[in-house]
Amino acid sequence: MNQPRTYTRGMQRWWLRRPSYRFYLLREGTSVVIALYGLFLLAGMAALAVGPGAFETWRGLLFSPLSWLLHLVVLAAFTFHAWTWFKVLPLTVPPVKTRRFPRGFTDATLNRVALWAWGVVSLVILVAAMRGLQ
Amino acid sequence: MSQTRTIVIECLRFHPETDEAPYYQSYEVPFTEEMSVLEGLQYIKDHLDGTLTFRWSCRMAICGSCGCMVNDEPVLSCQTFLRDYHPARIRVEPLAHFPILRDLAIDQTDFLAKLESVHPYLIPSTGDDPGDQPRHQTPDQVQDYLGYAQCINCLLCYAACPQYGLNDAFTGPAALALLHRYNADSRDAGKDQRMEVINAEEGVWGCTLVGECSEVCPKHVDPARAINQNKIASTQDYFLRFLKPRGRR
Ligand code: SF4
Ligand code: FES
Repeated sequence: MNQPRTYTRGMQRWWLRRPSYRFYLLREGTSVVIALYGLFLLAGMAALAVGPGAFETWRGLLFSPLSWLLHLVVLAAFTFHAWTWFKVLPLTVPPVKTRRFPRGFTDATLNRVALWAWGVVSLVILVAAMRGLQ
Repeated sequence: MSQTRTIVIECLRFHPETDEAPYYQSYEVPFTEEMSVLEGLQYIKDHLDGTLTFRWSCRMAICGSCGCMVNDEPVLSCQTFLRDYHPARIRVEPLAHFPILRDLAIDQTDFLAKLESVHPYLIPSTGDDPGDQPRHQTPDQVQDYLGYAQCINCLLCYAACPQYGLNDAFTGPAALALLHRYNADSRDAGKDQRMEVINAEEGVWGCTLVGECSEVCPKHVDPARAINQNKIASTQDYFLRFLKPRGRR
């Protein structure tokens, strides 16, 4: 039998089709910001290896007004990305583990617990880092 | 008797013998409170235009054959009601990301091949034959797979998945959820045979967790969960392969 001719519609501007697709792209986009910031930190390490002069130059970059602004943007991107990451975290926990959780412990509870833990750990690191700077 | 109102249903039409490309055609359909989109389409076919083609069977969200896009949302048309859209018009299109065969009917050949590739049946271990005795499972063991066993192969999840739309080599949500359904079953010993599908680039790693498959699934199968649990399984498998002696994966 002859295969009937079919018509396949393309994916042109697929992100416009559902709001959730745009949210997804935003989420993935923030990971690019995170990768770039990682490279920036790596550059700092490299500068440290080169010598005190290079490191001071790199450090100098941190205190310009533009740097403050960019850091705020990066912080927002990090926070958003981490928040979405913790939101999908429950999907990866196998039922064998969730079974040991108390009754009524849902995905939402796990998400909340993880968010709190993240918040506390971040705060501890922040405080430690601030002390180190002084 | 509920009162009759009129709604405009705009359908995507495509007949391969005569049409170069699909086009939209609108119909004015009288409807009552309890009429589904499917019944709207049936009204068109019976009273307005006998050439309109669409699939359906059970009319009660069980057979999985009536899936289509209503206003860009993949839905079962038998479970979607005209009253929820009135007075706006609705646009009915075939499921996204699949080749259109004719009007609202899509070609599922690709999915059927994928379904077959995941060995969607119990594979008992050799020598494990209970004869005519029943096999026992604890309620917990049943819970491990019951949710994933609810799939009706309606393909709404594929129509919601942009990764499948962008690259149809991706095994996709329902097939991977069914793969997990059998892997998660205590009576099954076929994991090794399915691991290859999981590990492939087109397997669980083709998923970037857009998450829409689980949102649109009418049976709450949660394919996104099945897939992401298997990312962990796949990672473990990758590292264990270095530790275990050859041929004993
Ligand atoms: S997983 Fe859900 S949406 Fe996908 S085919 Fe099965 S029932 Fe339909
Ligand atoms: S007609 Fe069977 S699922 Fe809609």
